[in-house]
Amino acid sequence: MSSVATSEDATLGGMPDSPMAMPRGRRRTEAAMLVFAVALVAFAYANVGFGLKGSLPSGMAEYMVAFVVLLVAAHLAVRRLAPWADPLLLPLAATLNGLGIVMTYRLQEVGRNGNPGTMSVPLSSSATLVQIVYTAIGLGCFVAVLALVREPRVLQRYTYIFGLMGIVLLALPALLPASISEVQGAKIQIRLGGFTIQPEEFAKLALGVSFAGYLVAKRDVLSLAGRRLVGIDLPRARDLGPVLIAWAASLLLLVFESDIGTSALFMGLFVAMLYIATQRTSWLLIGFLLFVAGAYAASKLFAHVGERFQIWLHPFAGANPFGNAYQLVQGLYGMASGGIFGKGLGGGQPYLTPLVQSDFVVTAFGEELGMTGLMAILLLYGLIVQRGLATSMAVKDPFSKILAGGLAFMLALQIFVIVGGVTRLIPLTGITTPFLSQGGSSLVASWIIIALLMRLSDTARRPPPQPIQDEGMTQVVNLS
Amino acid sequence: MNRALRRMSIAVLVMFVLLLVNVNYLQAFETGNLTSKPGNSRAFAAQFQYQRGEITTADGKVIAESKNVGGVYKYQRVYPLGPEYAPATGYDALYTASGVESAENSFLAGNSSKLAVRNVIDMITNKTRKGATVQLTLDSNAQNTAWNMLRASGKSGAVVALNPQTGAILAMASYPSYDPNQLAVLDGPQLNANDAKLQKDPAQPLLNRATDATFPPGSTFKIVTSSAAFAQGNDNVQTQVSAPSSLQLPQSTARLINDNGETCGTGNKATIITAFTLSCNTAFANIGMQLGSATLKSMAGKYGMNDPNLKIPSPVAQSNFPLEPDLATTALSAIGQKDDTVTPLQEAMFSAAIANNGTLMKPYLVQQIQAADLSIVDSAAPTALSQPVSPNVAAEVKQMMLSVVNNPTGTAAAFSNAIPGVQIAGKTGTAQNGINNNGLNDAVFTCFAGKGNRSMAVGVIIQGGGYGAAAAAPIAVGVLKAYLENG
Repeated sequence: MSSVATSEDATLGGMPDSPMAMPRGRRRTEAAMLVFAVALVAFAYANVGFGLKGSLPSGMAEYMVAFVVLLVAAHLAVRRLAPWADPLLLPLAATLNGLGIVMTYRLQEVGRNGNPGTMSVPLSSSATLVQIVYTAIGLGCFVAVLALVREPRVLQRYTYIFGLMGIVLLALPALLPASISEVQGAKIQIRLGGFTIQPEEFAKLALGVSFAGYLVAKRDVLSLAGRRLVGIDLPRARDLGPVLIAWAASLLLLVFESDIGTSALFMGLFVAMLYIATQRTSWLLIGFLLFVAGAYAASKLFAHVGERFQIWLHPFAGANPFGNAYQLVQGLYGMASGGIFGKGLGGGQPYLTPLVQSDFVVTAFGEELGMTGLMAILLLYGLIVQRGLATSMAVKDPFSKILAGGLAFMLALQIFVIVGGVTRLIPLTGITTPFLSQGGSSLVASWIIIALLMRLSDTARRPPPQPIQDEGMTQVVNLS
Repeated sequence: MNRALRRMSIAVLVMFVLLLVNVNYLQAFETGNLTSKPGNSRAFAAQFQYQRGEITTADGKVIAESKNVGGVYKYQRVYPLGPEYAPATGYDALYTASGVESAENSFLAGNSSKLAVRNVIDMITNKTRKGATVQLTLDSNAQNTAWNMLRASGKSGAVVALNPQTGAILAMASYPSYDPNQLAVLDGPQLNANDAKLQKDPAQPLLNRATDATFPPGSTFKIVTSSAAFAQGNDNVQTQVSAPSSLQLPQSTARLINDNGETCGTGNKATIITAFTLSCNTAFANIGMQLGSATLKSMAGKYGMNDPNLKIPSPVAQSNFPLEPDLATTALSAIGQKDDTVTPLQEAMFSAAIANNGTLMKPYLVQQIQAADLSIVDSAAPTALSQPVSPNVAAEVKQMMLSVVNNPTGTAAAFSNAIPGVQIAGKTGTAQNGINNNGLNDAVFTCFAGKGNRSMAVGVIIQGGGYGAAAAAPIAVGVLKAYLENG
């Protein structure tokens, strides 16, 4: 992982008589992998139809054609705009996005056209179409980012603008009246007409870029050692400012928007970037301890936070399975009924779990694709994160390094928080599952992350400029 | 910076490994545990994916079957005779089950270990799995008569009829009852509404009075008291006992009187058989005080009381005869009052023990279990529960019980010729209940009779029925008649 990406290509594909080996762009690998991704999604889509009705789903051809057209467009854009980018990121994200569309269709069909089941909040009959439109917007933004950000360091210029933007986006739902911002007791969205936007999904991107820019500028100061305690170099007290501000912001998020998951995500993103920038373990410890202390205090001070802990610890006690732990235990029951090989798409009852289309979509996959399917999905996420971290290692300038590492870690943390939450590894907090959850904001933001990672990997793998003409071997110039 | 990134990669790896291990734990190792957790409707839904076995009566009448209705829950349970058999079948609802549906669930659902080999064969030969048929011991004639007569009485109560020789339950009816079809609906909200309505009903239709409710036995308990007296060896049916019309209870201001304060026969003394025939309270109170509470309790236990573990296969409520602290309460307990309570099943067991020459057979409801391939998987083996009395004592008690019906002065003399050619042996009970005994008296009757190779013991309790002979005996005799004359 630590090797510079170009080195392997140089040895494998280098031409002995050429002065500089040209690394391959690997766009053909990407195309082949995309074919694989589309085949997998088409197979899953057909599977839902056969599972539910014993025939191919109506409208499958149109949806799949739309999906393929979007991916071809994205692939062509990558060929043109980021030819050296990592070849796996786009196919991995496309597979997950496609599976999300398939699950949306599967849940949309519940109780419709004679299919069994009732959902507490049924999906509209156009949910799949809407999800494809979101995919189109997501891929549109993906291409736009690749087109606009030709050089990652350009973003560094807008460090403070992005920071301001992120804070405004974050604070917006808290400032708006509850009638247009509250959902399930958390103030995290903005309702505009029939659409809802979750600004935090974009805020985390803006803040991520802003953090990276800030840390590049200040990392020398931040890595200065202060006192030494139990073998750990503590930072100087006067340098604690930024981490305290991030901590305070994440706590405010927790208190005013009742959103523990996102709060953990921001804190994690900031601390991870701080750690990459300074290599100081003390920052990790300080950040972690601050977050745990804040969360503990919040669980004592705010009923809904404490309740989450109680649900986590005792989901099956007394009336809990029928009360506040209903959603969690239904998700667990669904996964249990899926077992090792699952019920098959369309064969389970994922609709019994409230909000299965968003926060609990992982349990729906666990129920219908089983442990094997769910592990495969987790590995897809794991691969995306791994590609991100590899990019971070390969890329040279500090800003890109911090940004790639931070984004990859945030993605990993998001997967950990939501999948760990619904599988009762950690207390449940409502955040979206990237690419799989039904809904637009998260999908679009996830595609922007992929675009940024691809841009960064393109920079990392791009060969240095070739000399204009072959000047031959170094010559001895006779001056006499 | 790469050192930090490498460390972070390890942290990310640990996070993903934790997730993967947890998913493995949940979906490979914890499934069984989660399947049995409360409120897991998916586990119940899985039961409705294939045909559950039938429940039939001994004579082959289907009283519960599964019909294919499509949908998430493919099969719906149907109870063709609804409330009549509800106390026996119970119900198989989406989230829970009762009665035989619950007790024999592993056979009906087809997942019993005894069916495992057949299930594997079915899987290989690609036959759909079907549950085993559970055949009950109930006789459809006796059951139908019991149910119709109970319903006609309009009072809450229950009838249980036993085969005294085997313990097979021939009839088990409870009124008011419920229609299990209402709880077999596959629509959750509808099921909840139906269930709530039944739960709230003050008539308690869900209560199986035949085995799950207890009532004071009243004078029918004199069977136990006289059994205890005869078993001591000093007394026989002709033994004279003190039987005043009114008895001052020791260490108490209360006086015990016979029904309406009548004398017992001709004077202050009577033979035990006369006291039994006329059901004199004072005579048996005296016998009970002489025997002592421990002796009575021991005999009651041999008849099946104080047993918390009886199952038919559903658990049966315990019939109680606690040790009484003093003579006055012992006197009352000897005539089936004070703290004595019995199930209607226990009433039938009193008679069944006498009818079977003093040996009490363990009551059972399931005759046999037949797998879908028609092979017999399990079959009832009649077993003796206990021997409360010797055959000689049983003969003496039987003589007294015959006298109750056949002697013109007996409390159930009205039924001496109720079934032509059949001699009925019985004992009436008119049990006081309620606070300060201000409730309406429960009518109790226990009896047995035989004809040809058929015999039957019946216990009937009618709440607020008044005299045993008036409200309970006609139903008991009707059930006897229906069974014996159809032999």
